[in-house]
Amino acid sequence: MSAVDITFYINAAIAIYAGWRVFVTDSMVRASFFLLISFLAVGVIMLLLAAVYLGVALFFMMAVEMMVMALFMVMFMMNPAGLNPMKMVHQEKVAIAAGVVAFAALSAVAVFGEFPSRTIPEGWQPVVSLGHELLGDSMLVFESAGVTLLATMIAVVMLTSHRGRYGDANHGSRPPGLEPGGDPADKPEETEEGGHHHHHHHH
Amino acid sequence: MTSTLLIASACTVLLALLVGAYCVAAIDGAITARVTGQTPGNPLLIPLQNAARLWHAPHNETETPDRPALRLAPVLYLVLAAMGLALVPWSRDFVPVDLTTGIVFWGAIEPLATVLVFLKGWAPNAHFPLLGAYRYVSLGLSYILVSMFVLIGVALPAESLQISAVVDTQAELWNVVRQPLGLPLFLVVGLGVSFWGPLNFIDADDLHGGAASEEAGRVQLLWSTGRAAMLLAFSAIAASAFLGGWHGPWLPGPVWLILKTLAVVVLLVILGHTLPRVSPERFLTIAWVILLPLSFLSLAGAGVEALL
Repeated sequence: MSAVDITFYINAAIAIYAGWRVFVTDSMVRASFFLLISFLAVGVIMLLLAAVYLGVALFFMMAVEMMVMALFMVMFMMNPAGLNPMKMVHQEKVAIAAGVVAFAALSAVAVFGEFPSRTIPEGWQPVVSLGHELLGDSMLVFESAGVTLLATMIAVVMLTSHRGRYGDANHGSRPPGLEPGGDPADKPEETEEGGHHHHHHHH
Repeated sequence: MTSTLLIASACTVLLALLVGAYCVAAIDGAITARVTGQTPGNPLLIPLQNAARLWHAPHNETETPDRPALRLAPVLYLVLAAMGLALVPWSRDFVPVDLTTGIVFWGAIEPLATVLVFLKGWAPNAHFPLLGAYRYVSLGLSYILVSMFVLIGVALPAESLQISAVVDTQAELWNVVRQPLGLPLFLVVGLGVSFWGPLNFIDADDLHGGAASEEAGRVQLLWSTGRAAMLLAFSAIAASAFLGGWHGPWLPGPVWLILKTLAVVVLLVILGHTLPRVSPERFLTIAWVILLPLSFLSLAGAGVEALL
């Protein structure tokens, strides 16, 4: 067994172990970073396959992506620290069944499929032809979908953020009272004129 | 033969990392003394005295921390600094790791370092460190984009992502002249990645020290060594990408590289002491509204020059 083989097996084991830990850990931040470790191990395997640019690009893309994911998930969650335990899986039975079926199907393709082994002819540009092969005429559709997703993300951030163009999102809102129709627990008295009706018990 | 070269490369990088981190600490001490006007002792001895003090200081234990992350993060941060330093060419013939995608690899080290600095604040499970961690990450994402555009800018004239090729294109004219916006923008990234001076959002003074408020002993020693090493690795990369690396008259290549790297270190440390600390939301605006468009402009200029 050569050094390359040993490196491959070690990184494959790390990728699978970290990928499994994503689903059994109990924190959003830990899950994101286990996924990052898994991707980094896959990146090393890509380096072994002599796909140097793809491997290194995977390192930086996944580092930024997982960091953004952890940040945004925690930002929009009830549990701001991400250290408190929480359940990370839903619809387990369906997910397990889908996972087993997908794994079996992909493994069957990998094990029983007949893969052509041809060397690349001279003068071929593998990257260009790969792009045409993957997307072809659909490039416009994919790019439009990408821009739409970006616009959606920005819109979601706009809608969920407290600060907006016209002032605070919760301006004028009133938390529910402690007793029906009563004053809320920690509502500061608003001194603004008009529109707001306060029931002051003390005058 | 190749194994001898491999061992020589590894030894050079590790030695440069240790000596360099000490030099950064000594330079920082000397400049602190000059800025504050107080000399607490011999600046050559202060780093060693601090290290000895931290080595013997007791460990601080917070309530239910994430222990693996707490212990691994500073070590991995130091490893990332060493990986960055390994990418730097010392002369035409001696490049410890001459990756064909060296520029992109450095581009990967920066966000990975950001992840580790986030863990520095997240893992202790305490109030101020956590605030520092989220602050650092949300601001870090804004200057990492700047770093990418600036680095693509230096790769354009070389038509290569290899750092040795980028250095080779600067034999006649350094990139700092060719792309005058590049180095100033890149220096901001350096202050951020090694959480130095005004961009030290993780250990922010206005957060009661942030992550540093719960750190003590050897963990603190590892982090301060790590950030000195990261500042050094960053300076060596900046010297190679903008100041012509090992190119220079009369002296041998490695000497020029060391001189230029130390010059960038001195510049960064002075900037760290003299630039005002901006509030996080103001820095976010500065990063997205001023620095990022400037990096676009720099890249566009580099593109036009490459086409001409």
